[in-house]
Amino acid sequence: MASEDTIPVLKVLIIGPSGAGKSALLLRYCDDQFDPESSTATIGIDFKSKHLAVHGKAYRLNVFDTAGQERFRTLSTSYYRGAHGVILVYDISSRASFVGMEKWIDEAKQNAAPNAVLYLVGSKLDKVAGGGRAVTYEEGQAFAEANGALFCEVSAKTKENIKRPFVEVVDQIVQTPDLLVSPRSNNTALNIGTLGSDYSSACPC
Amino acid sequence: MTALPHAVDAETPLKPDELQVLRSQYEKEGDMVGVQTKFNYAWGLVKSNSRNDQQTGVQLLSEIFRVSPERRRECLYYLALGNYKLGNYGEARRYNDLLLEKEPMNMQSADLRRLIDDKVAKEGLMGVAIISGVAIAAGVVGGILFRGRRR
Repeated sequence: MASEDTIPVLKVLIIGPSGAGKSALLLRYCDDQFDPESSTATIGIDFKSKHLAVHGKAYRLNVFDTAGQERFRTLSTSYYRGAHGVILVYDISSRASFVGMEKWIDEAKQNAAPNAVLYLVGSKLDKVAGGGRAVTYEEGQAFAEANGALFCEVSAKTKENIKRPFVEVVDQIVQTPDLLVSPRSNNTALNIGTLGSDYSSACPC
Repeated sequence: MTALPHAVDAETPLKPDELQVLRSQYEKEGDMVGVQTKFNYAWGLVKSNSRNDQQTGVQLLSEIFRVSPERRRECLYYLALGNYKLGNYGEARRYNDLLLEKEPMNMQSADLRRLIDDKVAKEGLMGVAIISGVAIAAGVVGGILFRGRRR
């Protein structure tokens, strides 16, 4: 067994417009919770940590959930330091949130390491049933492809696909060896040994 | 389940040149400084590891809190974080509770509450340990003195 100290730490950032469902995605993935009432905007940055295994190897995934509000945008660039992957979230029931992705992907490309993994997530997939889809799957996929990003649609409410972005991001990161050798100097504040030990399967099925 | 919460935002200092960017902007705007610029600088200061910076950050945040009601929730949160870092746990809890009162479902605030409580409990125990240590030492010294006198 690998001890806590030797488990590689991966840093992933979640970005996207206010109200896209970034925090809901993270909360469902890490704590398996969903609160339909909660709509408090994230202040600055929130953080959760989770263990997962990919191809039989354990990793600790540190996910930084950033505020989507404009007022935090100038500050958010400092969060990119040392990030191995960036998950960009838009709301499939909001055209505006998808159109805005252009700006967010530019920000990610400007600030993240050149070979950092990009992943586009269309959230609130549960709204399709009520006729709430405003962005087609194909549009999302095409935009992701054009920007060298992976893509899927998820619902934090129904849990559909909820693990997939995280597992696939990690999978892609570990296949990019250059990413893993960079110093992770910004992880000094993390308290090793007090984190959850919830191992998720690497199988995105 | 989530393990102990982390005050990651407060505990990751900016690089000196990053903080300098925020400081320069703040100084450039002088007396007419905008709320955003001031808030950005205060945020950078609170994240710093220097006590002086943290104190200045907290002071700027309380100014913003007074004059810019639309920034109150952010100010409350960072005022709580700043005071937490400074070891002013009473103040930290006071600001954080104000935020929790307005937003009972705010998870960041709930986490910070646990973090503050945890710290207070730990330091409380430390206090008890120190006091009992002193009491035992006094007892030993007293005992020796007392025995010395009886002899």
